[in-house]
Amino acid sequence: MLSLDMVRGGRAGFAGAFVALFLGVALVSMTALVFTSAGPRVPARYAGTAVLVRAPAAVQADGSFLADRPWPPETVRLLTDRLKAVPGVVAAVPDRSFYAQPVIGGRPDPGRVEGRPWSSAALAPHRLVSGSPPSGDREVVVEHALGLAPGSAVTLLTAAGPVPYAVSGTADGPGLYLGDAAAARLSGGVRVIGLRTAPGADLAAVEAAARTAAGSLGEVLSGDARAALETKADARTRWIGTQVLTAMASLSGFAVVFVVASTFAFGVMRRRRDLGLLRAVGATPRQVRRMVRGEALAVGVAAALAGVAAGIALAPVFGDLLVAAGFEPPGFSVRITAWPPAAAFGGGLVVALLGTWSAARRAARTSPLEALREAGADRRPMTRARLLLGSAFTAAGIAVAVAVAGTRPEEIVTLALLAAMALTVGIALLAPAVLPPVVRALLWPPSRARGATWTLVREGSLAAIRRTASTTAPVLLTVGFAVLVTGMVQTTAGAFALGRTAVVRAEAVVVPADGVPGLSDAVVAAAGGTAGRVTGDTADGGAGSTAGGVPLPTTVHPDGMPPQAALGAAAWETGGSGGAPRAGTDSPGEAGRARKAGDLPQGREGSGGPGTVVVARWVAAERGWRAGDTIRLTFEDGRAEPLRVAAVAGDAPAAFLLPRDVVRAHDPSALTPEILLPGPAPGADRLGPLGARALGPAAYAASSRDEDDRLVWLFTLVLVGTAVGYTGVAVANTLFMAASGRVREFRVLRASGATPRQVLGVVAAESALVTVMGSLLGAAVALPALLGIRSGLSRRVGASVPLIVPWPAVLGVVGACLVLAVAAGVLSVLGAARRAR
Amino acid sequence: MTTDAAKTPEPAAEVVLLRSVSKVYGAAPHAVTALDDMTIGFRAGTFTAVMGPSGSGKSTLLHCAAGLDRPTRGQVIVDGTDLGPLDETGLTLLRRGRVGFVFQSFNLVPALTAEQNVALPLRLAGVRPPGAEIRAALAEVGLSGRAGHRPDELSGGERQRVAVARALVTRPAVLFADEPTGALDTRTSREVLALLRDVVDRQGQTVVMVTHDPVAAAHADRVVLMADGRIADEMTAPGDRGDVGGAGPAGLRLRAEAIAVRMAALEGSC
Ligand SMILES: Nc1ncnc2c1ncn2[C@@H]1O[C@H](COP(=O)(O)OP(=O)(O)OP(=O)(O)O)[C@@H](O)[C@H]1O
Ligand SMILES: [Mg+2]
Repeated sequence: MLSLDMVRGGRAGFAGAFVALFLGVALVSMTALVFTSAGPRVPARYAGTAVLVRAPAAVQADGSFLADRPWPPETVRLLTDRLKAVPGVVAAVPDRSFYAQPVIGGRPDPGRVEGRPWSSAALAPHRLVSGSPPSGDREVVVEHALGLAPGSAVTLLTAAGPVPYAVSGTADGPGLYLGDAAAARLSGGVRVIGLRTAPGADLAAVEAAARTAAGSLGEVLSGDARAALETKADARTRWIGTQVLTAMASLSGFAVVFVVASTFAFGVMRRRRDLGLLRAVGATPRQVRRMVRGEALAVGVAAALAGVAAGIALAPVFGDLLVAAGFEPPGFSVRITAWPPAAAFGGGLVVALLGTWSAARRAARTSPLEALREAGADRRPMTRARLLLGSAFTAAGIAVAVAVAGTRPEEIVTLALLAAMALTVGIALLAPAVLPPVVRALLWPPSRARGATWTLVREGSLAAIRRTASTTAPVLLTVGFAVLVTGMVQTTAGAFALGRTAVVRAEAVVVPADGVPGLSDAVVAAAGGTAGRVTGDTADGGAGSTAGGVPLPTTVHPDGMPPQAALGAAAWETGGSGGAPRAGTDSPGEAGRARKAGDLPQGREGSGGPGTVVVARWVAAERGWRAGDTIRLTFEDGRAEPLRVAAVAGDAPAAFLLPRDVVRAHDPSALTPEILLPGPAPGADRLGPLGARALGPAAYAASSRDEDDRLVWLFTLVLVGTAVGYTGVAVANTLFMAASGRVREFRVLRASGATPRQVLGVVAAESALVTVMGSLLGAAVALPALLGIRSGLSRRVGASVPLIVPWPAVLGVVGACLVLAVAAGVLSVLGAARRAR
Repeated sequence: MTTDAAKTPEPAAEVVLLRSVSKVYGAAPHAVTALDDMTIGFRAGTFTAVMGPSGSGKSTLLHCAAGLDRPTRGQVIVDGTDLGPLDETGLTLLRRGRVGFVFQSFNLVPALTAEQNVALPLRLAGVRPPGAEIRAALAEVGLSGRAGHRPDELSGGERQRVAVARALVTRPAVLFADEPTGALDTRTSREVLALLRDVVDRQGQTVVMVTHDPVAAAHADRVVLMADGRIADEMTAPGDRGDVGGAGPAGLRLRAEAIAVRMAALEGSC
């Protein structure tokens, strides 16, 4: 009752707390809604099939999205026969896919890169719109929307090269469909068998019977469980999206907790005089405490409710943005569920109340004489608890920053963020102790100048050091985030670029044309077959290059291991160092690794000939394999082969190195990523029709980063945009609150002869001071974390990685803070400055 | 509670009694002794003015006597209750029920209307004050038309009168006022002082007021002059015998000129 009166009357003061919590809850509930919606979905191409059986999938490492092990062909036959016999099942359709891309108007269509057997069209189901099903080897059914009429000709890019086809019909869904036999020849193995059921069949019975039929050979999926059949590409996109959302949720969650707690506490601090008066008039400490908490609750509930509503409204928009940016797969849509907004609401409220908790205790201890005291002059700016807590957080932050340097690569970012967060809290708590010397140092020269402005600013900031600390905090957070996120992204990207540019020693590089996933064998032949030194997988930041042979990446399935990346290459040339298969020796990352003598074969005899494999040392160590052992690998077509370990390579670009023709034999759809040429590349007239193009080394180094850079850049934008945008609002918010609480003070200034301009000058100068100090502290908070990242990356890449902080971007953020701070301060006292009452 | 005080063998009940009260601010090298072993009592129904040079400890005396601050040494008894053993809440409850206080300025909660400000102590006590009672209290101080105004819509004199109304609304045993007219012009000062005199005369209210103005002090029955944290001098109105409502007609009051002379003497001796 009492507290609500005060809320109503003190509207201006509560607006700040309201805004902080409203925006915070909106941001968090929006992110949480999108996050929880980002589960796998049943792929459209299986939508019309109630029961499916898939090959057992191995658990892969986080961030690894290799294809699962397919069934051997005999198993596929066995399973289809058994499943077909299940009562109610009309047909058991093995689903396979292969690379095929139509060339439309001379350009490969980037949206259609997958071919399937016509029989599997029934699983969606996609039906014929016109024409007839494909027959023979050279007929294809295309999506009706493609605009090709039955009878017309179309060129499909395949792993072998461009092949002319005739359109036999069009279907009402996406996909390129060949006859089953033709498709089987182009495809790898089968991982999914769909059960077409008779109309009115008892699906539960079918499912149970299928389970019995499949036994341990396959996993039967129905209903929502069919979402497990999403493509690895979609799974990977979702995984990236989850990384983005997690980073965003943790950063913005931290920002919200920080800003809301400090804004609510600041709101209490501003009204110290009112609270003192209440105490004098007869409010007991308990009443003051309850009142402050009651107000926080009232404002909190209103703001959190409004925030949740805004979050729900914005979530679908944000979801669409993520799809457009490539952070979520196409078809992703936000499901509005109850608990994410409910959690954001409850969490926001709790944070608001916690923020007020210690402020309320402090308020309750307010002496009644506080009402008589002149405003300003904090007598005990640093309490012991604050000092202890601040020191603890700062120490923890520094300790974590040091730990970043020695941690595992996948933990670098998490630890760096943690370090920065702990330092932010620590420095913000210590601010009343840290700031006075900074104020004195910064204002020593100007305050010796003639005007009164700087003296007023200096003494004002020092006397009310707690207020100064409160207004500095959001700037600290904003600039700290900006320096940390942009610096982290740029330094990391720089480290990877370092690894990549080092290997480009070629005169020309042949890469796939835009929208084409890889190079066909026809391109490899056109480029001169197995010529020259060639790059392999560059995912490790250090690149591998295999002497001789254009590498052909595939996935292999060793017994008892999750899927592994493998490279196929022609017989190795004998390199300079004793005939050993040399892989990736040029990248700085490899140079740093010790090479154990005796691992590599001394002679030329074991140089990866037929029937052999070279195994990466880490795999060999894990499985206890040595050169000369015979191991069994299952390939993309589901067939297994025994292979002799020809060598163990300490620096192999993939887990397994195989002869190129072995890979091609088992993986008809494998594509070559790129070809490095020692001499000039074939002309565009030859490469163009094959879906390829040639680049010079410089253009290659730039272009191969394009897609990564785009994602990274977007990622940065999303993080900086949300977290820094939010804290930027907090900067304006806090300065507005601070200045509007001092209207009385500014009137006195006016009355003592200051012109309105001089008063505004003081306010603007104070805002500027706060921005500068916040920026300095923000940079100080981010630097230890960045230095940790740098040494972590340097260790990983094996070369000294330069610390890159994009200062123009950071200065832009600082400038924005300055404008916000000055505008908010000046606007809030404009009225008071005009009147001299 | 008042019975204890009533039992003490004094001519009239001492509503507020300070015994050997000292107040020291700060620690050893920079310590300031604001009150130096001061003993003083204020009898029921009297109007006392406390005067003295700036820094002589007048405000400190009032704060200690009103339970707004704790003395370093000595005993303070308000309306029969010893403040020493009370904790912060106990002190607050006593203040709320038995003590009224008017400051020089910043008396009102800016967010509340005059009426709400007056009702504040009662509401803090958990009482839902009848609107009529509050309006009567405002009418008492001549502000019946201003109930719905916020402090920034009132003149300085009106604000002080609202503050007086609020201080009196709980019918306290004693009303303290620290330079209540310090920020007012002569005419508005006179209104506020007349109001204080009036509650002493008509309701037997005990009032203790700090002032620098001899004219203001002349409204009191007794003037205490302080210097360096002690009582330096004291004057009593001729007609005052300490009886309730005992102020005599104007002729029997203290004269401002006489007070000014004593003040000047005091300041000269310092
Ligand atoms: N909170 C405090 N901390 C330290 N010293 C104080 C404090 N309050 C008052 N003093 C000192 O105690 C002495 C008495 O102060 P007090 O406010 O009681 O004087 P006063 O008689 O009310 O003066 P004035 O007429 O100027 O209001 C002064 O020397 C003052 O400096
Ligand atoms: Mg005083």
